[in-house]
Amino acid sequence: MPSVVELVQSLVNGVGIGLVYGLIAIGFCVIYNASGIVNFAQGVFVMLGGMFAYSFLVTLKWPLALAAAASIIVVAGIGVLVQIFIIRPMWERKAPMFAIILATLAVQLLIEQIVILTMGDQPRTYPEFTLGGPLKLGPIAIGYQLFWVLGCGALMVVLLQLFFNKTRVGRALRACSQNREAAALLGIPVGGMLMLSFALSAGLGAAAGILITPTQYTAYSVGAPFGVNGFISAIIGGFGSAPAALAGGILLGVVQSAAIVVFGAGYKNVIALTVLLIVLLFFPKGLFGGLAKKH
Amino acid sequence: MTLLSVRGLTKRFDGLTANSEISLDVEEGSLFAVIGPNGAGKTTFFNMVSGFLPSTAGSITFAGTDITTMRQDKIAAMGLIRTFQLVQMFQNMTVAENVEVGFHLKTRGGVGAALVRPPWLRRQEEDIRVKARELLDFVGLGAQADMDAGLLPYGQQRLLEVARAMAAGPRLLLLDEPAAGLNAHETDALADVIQHINGRGITVLLIEHDVGLVTRIAHRIAVLDFGCKIAEGTPDEIKKHPDVIAAYLGTETENA
Amino acid sequence: MTLPSSISTRLGQHGYLAVGGAILLGLLFVFVFVRGGYLLTVMQLAMIYGVFCIGLNFFMGYTGQASFGQNAFAALGGYGTAVLCVQYGWEPILALFASMAISGVASVVVGYPTLRLRGHYLAMATFALGLITYDISVQWQSVTQGYMGYSGIPPLGIGPFTVEDERWKLVVLMVIVLFGLWISGRLRNSRFGRALRAISTSELGASALGIRISHYKLAAFVIAALYASAAGSLFAHVVGFISPEVFGAQMVIVTFTMLYVGGVGTVLGPAIGAVIASLLPEIVRSTGRFQDIAYALVLILLLIYVPKGLSALFGIGRPRPAKTTNPGS
Repeated sequence: MPSVVELVQSLVNGVGIGLVYGLIAIGFCVIYNASGIVNFAQGVFVMLGGMFAYSFLVTLKWPLALAAAASIIVVAGIGVLVQIFIIRPMWERKAPMFAIILATLAVQLLIEQIVILTMGDQPRTYPEFTLGGPLKLGPIAIGYQLFWVLGCGALMVVLLQLFFNKTRVGRALRACSQNREAAALLGIPVGGMLMLSFALSAGLGAAAGILITPTQYTAYSVGAPFGVNGFISAIIGGFGSAPAALAGGILLGVVQSAAIVVFGAGYKNVIALTVLLIVLLFFPKGLFGGLAKKH
Repeated sequence: MTLLSVRGLTKRFDGLTANSEISLDVEEGSLFAVIGPNGAGKTTFFNMVSGFLPSTAGSITFAGTDITTMRQDKIAAMGLIRTFQLVQMFQNMTVAENVEVGFHLKTRGGVGAALVRPPWLRRQEEDIRVKARELLDFVGLGAQADMDAGLLPYGQQRLLEVARAMAAGPRLLLLDEPAAGLNAHETDALADVIQHINGRGITVLLIEHDVGLVTRIAHRIAVLDFGCKIAEGTPDEIKKHPDVIAAYLGTETENA
Repeated sequence: MTLPSSISTRLGQHGYLAVGGAILLGLLFVFVFVRGGYLLTVMQLAMIYGVFCIGLNFFMGYTGQASFGQNAFAALGGYGTAVLCVQYGWEPILALFASMAISGVASVVVGYPTLRLRGHYLAMATFALGLITYDISVQWQSVTQGYMGYSGIPPLGIGPFTVEDERWKLVVLMVIVLFGLWISGRLRNSRFGRALRAISTSELGASALGIRISHYKLAAFVIAALYASAAGSLFAHVVGFISPEVFGAQMVIVTFTMLYVGGVGTVLGPAIGAVIASLLPEIVRSTGRFQDIAYALVLILLLIYVPKGLSALFGIGRPRPAKTTNPGS
């Protein structure tokens, strides 16, 4: 039987990883709401964020802030490229949903293989942003990186909320999510908004990857599990607002961490996926009917 | 004898009442029509009767059995077969294959039989091929039998859907706005087919927007407006009914 | 009895093309047999993927449903065979059928609730099946031997007769593929197959004719799982080695590429696609990584420019309607 201390410790760890899932989930929602597309390659942006950060930080020895910013920009650019060359042609041809999903899966495989070719298949990691620690609260240890994750995560959600509510572009993006035809009639460039949504969600994914890599590692294959966990979080959050998606992520992270204590770390993805299947089975149209409403 | 009996059928969507307390009886062998302006709740009514939409309240009895909460395919198996306002063609199959699918309920055999192809199965396949051809000739599509169904012009797709429904051996055939999108010539051909079907002893329940078609072929008509039944009677009674003229004919005569 | 024209429609829309393709394939096999060597291995794998794709075609082609996780059942087949043969010394043929039985049961248990889902949820749930199986095959080391995988899996055989010659292996696999195609063709043009194909274009229309949708979707899913399991077992016996990577996510991409190249929903398409898609990388002599990249690129291009699969390209000459009435008029 796991002790109380172990459980509390796993709770703390769960909040950290959960925030990362939440950021990925927001990425799913941003694209889905702008276009009705679920980008199954979302997790690949997380992996790329970690990979680029590693290259800039460790190989090129750039300072942390510069490396992080550069990684986010590069990955957002990759997101835009994916949108321009793959998603947009299919979208304009009114390709069936299943074909777009398949294409995003192919993109994931493509990027993974390119990463193996250029970076190798070895896992990479870099030091935590603030060295030292962990902070000891009695028997509970909290790594400093968790505070970075919490702080940056909260900051990004606040900025996103401001962006969606206060800026013209953000409001236009929201208008697209409510009614694309009407938005187009109002003169909002819907195609441009779709591109923006890919840049935004790729950037968010990259940020998540940069934040989480020091506590774990990044390797070509971490994308799919991150993507799936982000998707599960988005479902729990109802595919609606950013805070709900974030909450969904934290919930999943905590459940997963608790389950790791019981079943062992190797099975954490199996556990998350089983949670997904169970949630879907009891709510075949998703929690809050988020996706079902639009299709 | 009453074949279909609807009592107090009601459907509410998020506070909006699409159908309110509709009751009607369809006699076996009759040609019954439900008419009403667009948005009167005709298709909602149809979807509930055929099991494609759960009702909020009320009951539906078909051939003495309560079918209110029955699944679509079971309702179909009882002999209540419907068509759709938006044609539901099996586009990837030929015209003849579409009708052959229609025989699903009238045939048997699963994976095992399909692999072994025992003599009875071969007879059955030959049988439905012949019968499908007869049905296509009946609706005037015999020449198009080997064409891809998706390539048929719209009016002929409607006729094909009727032929396909006939293959399922209906006791009650529900036709959902069969004349929608048809030109005058195609509508006449369709009216002929419907009357012939009814002449074979099959009860027909028809939803229509085209009042001219309905008053010409229906034995009995019910009128829906804003989700309520406002009148029922013979075509002559309906034509004279003041509420009907006010609610429907008065505003929609140009479509009639 | 039947006229040629109806034979072609029964074979699928591109019947003659398919027959022509089959003849070409025959010639190809003769060449491979004479030439021998590495090409034999390539063709063996093509046949194994062919078995998988013929099954996937039931669910995706005939029934029009998307499953991104059929590799789970291939893994089940492969590991079932490996464990039963290596650990328990079973006869290969028995292990193959036992694994298929396990996969069949598993697909019913998993499919019954999963197939109630629609759209993105169905896609993600099926994708999750593959990922779960992959993780279990890595983690459950006491049974699966983890990343190391299983080697020394005995070749196919019955009793004292084993198939160890590379040419004979290919012959056996070809016979299995032909048998799989025969089943696929028979089922496609039956009451059962017509019901599946009706579901693929209109679930409403199908259920209005009394077809029990959930029932038929599940049946197609189970058939696809049985084929996938057989393909997994065959891989184990023919190659003699399996690891989690063999049944990873790239298997999904590779098999979908094959299906799209050959023609989704046709009888022979999956097998033809498997052969073409297996040979192309050999012609450009690319190695593993580049091969996966090539598959992904080809699939993306096909999805964008030929969304109905390559076989649709040859359908241009089909009859057109004499006149079209605007549905809205």
